[in-house]
Amino acid sequence: MGFLKRNGLWVGALVVALLAWPSQWYPMPMRLQLTRWFGAADYRPLPESVQSPDIVPEVFCPPDPSGWRAEAEIEGVTVSASAPCVADNPYAVAAFVKGTNNVSQGTLLSSGLTADAVTKGRDLDGDGDPDEIHIRLEVAELNGGSPNSSDPVTQYEIAPGIKPGMWVFAPKLAGMAVENFESNIARDTLRAPSPAIRIEQGDTVLVTLENSHYMPHTLHLHGADHSFIDVTGEGNDGVPLTSELPVMPGGARTYELKPRHAGTMFYHCHVQPHVHVMMGLQGLFIIEENRPNNWLQTMNIGAGQVRVPSVASKEDYDQEYDLHYLDLDKQLGERIQASNDPRLITQSMHRDYDITDSTVDYFTLNGKSFPYTFRESLVVGKENDRIKLRVVNGGAKGLALHTHGHKFTITDRDGVRLPEAQRLPQDVAWLATTQRADIELLFRNDGLHAYSPGIWLFHDHQYSGVTTDGIGPGGNISAIAYTDFVADTGWPKTQGVSWNNYFTDQYYRRQTPVWKSYGPELFLEAGTDWRVFTRLLVLALAVGVLVATLFASVVRRRSQ
Amino acid sequence: MRYLVCVLMLVPVIALTQEDQNEHAHHHHAMTVDEAGVVMNENTDTLPRGCDSISKDHQLEIHVGRQYANDVPGMIFGFDEHEVQVEPCSRVTLTLVNDDEVRHQWMVHGLPKYLYPAGMFHIEAMGGHSKTGTFIVPVENKSYLVHCDMAQHMEKGLRGQLVVGSGSGDLWGVNGVSDQFIRAPYLPENTRTLIIAAILAGVLAVFLVRFR
Repeated sequence: MGFLKRNGLWVGALVVALLAWPSQWYPMPMRLQLTRWFGAADYRPLPESVQSPDIVPEVFCPPDPSGWRAEAEIEGVTVSASAPCVADNPYAVAAFVKGTNNVSQGTLLSSGLTADAVTKGRDLDGDGDPDEIHIRLEVAELNGGSPNSSDPVTQYEIAPGIKPGMWVFAPKLAGMAVENFESNIARDTLRAPSPAIRIEQGDTVLVTLENSHYMPHTLHLHGADHSFIDVTGEGNDGVPLTSELPVMPGGARTYELKPRHAGTMFYHCHVQPHVHVMMGLQGLFIIEENRPNNWLQTMNIGAGQVRVPSVASKEDYDQEYDLHYLDLDKQLGERIQASNDPRLITQSMHRDYDITDSTVDYFTLNGKSFPYTFRESLVVGKENDRIKLRVVNGGAKGLALHTHGHKFTITDRDGVRLPEAQRLPQDVAWLATTQRADIELLFRNDGLHAYSPGIWLFHDHQYSGVTTDGIGPGGNISAIAYTDFVADTGWPKTQGVSWNNYFTDQYYRRQTPVWKSYGPELFLEAGTDWRVFTRLLVLALAVGVLVATLFASVVRRRSQ
Repeated sequence: MRYLVCVLMLVPVIALTQEDQNEHAHHHHAMTVDEAGVVMNENTDTLPRGCDSISKDHQLEIHVGRQYANDVPGMIFGFDEHEVQVEPCSRVTLTLVNDDEVRHQWMVHGLPKYLYPAGMFHIEAMGGHSKTGTFIVPVENKSYLVHCDMAQHMEKGLRGQLVVGSGSGDLWGVNGVSDQFIRAPYLPENTRTLIIAAILAGVLAVFLVRFR
């Protein structure tokens, strides 16, 4: 009796702990012995599936109230139709073709550009198109931080709910960075990627970098024919190590070139390039072959379909698309959101951040990830169309570009025409970082170039590339869609699974079962076994009592 | 006052496409554009409700540029004056002088919408240019947000306030006027070690006193 009085508490706690111990976690030999004595335990159904809350998807295909998708005749420029749901502003396209100094006030206002965004001057060779081109670029931060709000400002979503911090070169736009006074969302022309720029071989081109950002930047014309110093002896290469000081915030600098060689090139900032280029300060820089009456669309905002292709392009192709692939490191982009002080941001990005320990998380095509790629980056054509794709891989990883349903042919690499013998059909092309490929895509149903009309995905076939931070489908998936398979709204007539999941931020935040739409009985989230949970709680309580009595006895013994 | 700022800060993201279309259309009517810049929603003569006459004419010149942030730690851009004070019903003719080589704006928010579409008056000056615009302030004592709406310019220094009459309290984050709402802590490098050392020192002190 005395034993129990002295030791009742811990003995009781031990008994409760052993009884509460969930039987499925008894040691294996003990379970087998118990089975020999008593047989299997009675049937107890596994927990019911949990009905996950209903998700409300975004509108897949936003309406086009301004009619921007239709073919348009603006300022005498024929802007071709754009099949996908979301199209570029045709007034901006026309203003880029004519020059923002050569269009009416109405067109300029509708374009959203400033009067000096892209100015075009004299026709120096008398072939019917302007040869003096002056392009202005600003630098804008998307999804940056703020000392007055915990939400990012100038918001730009690459996929539902995904707002990585980014920097872009931007066309010179008049007015606000956001879509209206009450909004925190970037206007549609202020976006990633940096615009694809098109100039003509032999043109006298000035590119002014107006550094509207809070860090130093430069412009480096990667692969485009330009001199190391300009006529005045000033550096012209944009490389602070060797040619010039960077452009400081609020400052501007003009780079010049008169390229002798045509091809698909690249431009990027060369200040701390391992950070600045990977933040998005990079774009396609295309030098078109010289032709008479070659009025070029000097900028292609957001890349994608070229609504006014060059004369040389029209000679050989029915359509042309700029495809800019870029991968992003989430942890790098977050650094501009973490604080507002440029000194702290600079330290965080250029000293604390270690790219050699980094991974990439987001994979974009023309500034968007799946499913937003399907709103604006579909390649749409009809049978026997011949389509030119200018592709750049601006990401840190390589790109294994794969087309379903088609074998394509690379005609040029890094802006240089390949010999005929090297132009072979292939269905995976490897593009190293910053490498470019001009691709001929032939919608010819001959079993080699194309297998049939339909909706055929094209994507990076490295598997991280088809995810958004590890959630698939995401990343840079887009599609080649034949006209018959695209609705009037621009949305492809897919006949597989529901896309409702993919148009919610919950899906990309890992909060929705992936097969909810077509396997609701099978693959919903499993429920909770409350019996095991209760036993664990009781076990924990008993262990607590045991520990306390042990501690008390040690203290008592020492004090005696 | 702080309440008002909070409301301003928390203005939800309202992005109704149709409304945008209408607002843009309005802007176009009240907008002048030239190579020097843009003035939006200029108003030289329509009196706001409750105003019998123009109480006073102000001619103001405000400079903007990187140089005005040289003496402000942690800022990149600045106005030479971040606060403008005027009388109710006064007419303000403001010249924005841009001393940078990039665009800048001086934009007032929250004005009455019956007079200023989207409640906004806006001057944008191109790099190296100046641009002048006129507007008439309402009768109420109120403080209005003034900023440059280029990406990150407000955050990096171009945030001010227009105080009409006695105003309605200072807004957060106006350089030289009010503190930032979200501040980094700016601690020395080995703060964590020092904090742990301080806690241990406290424990040690108690032990020394109690168990000597």
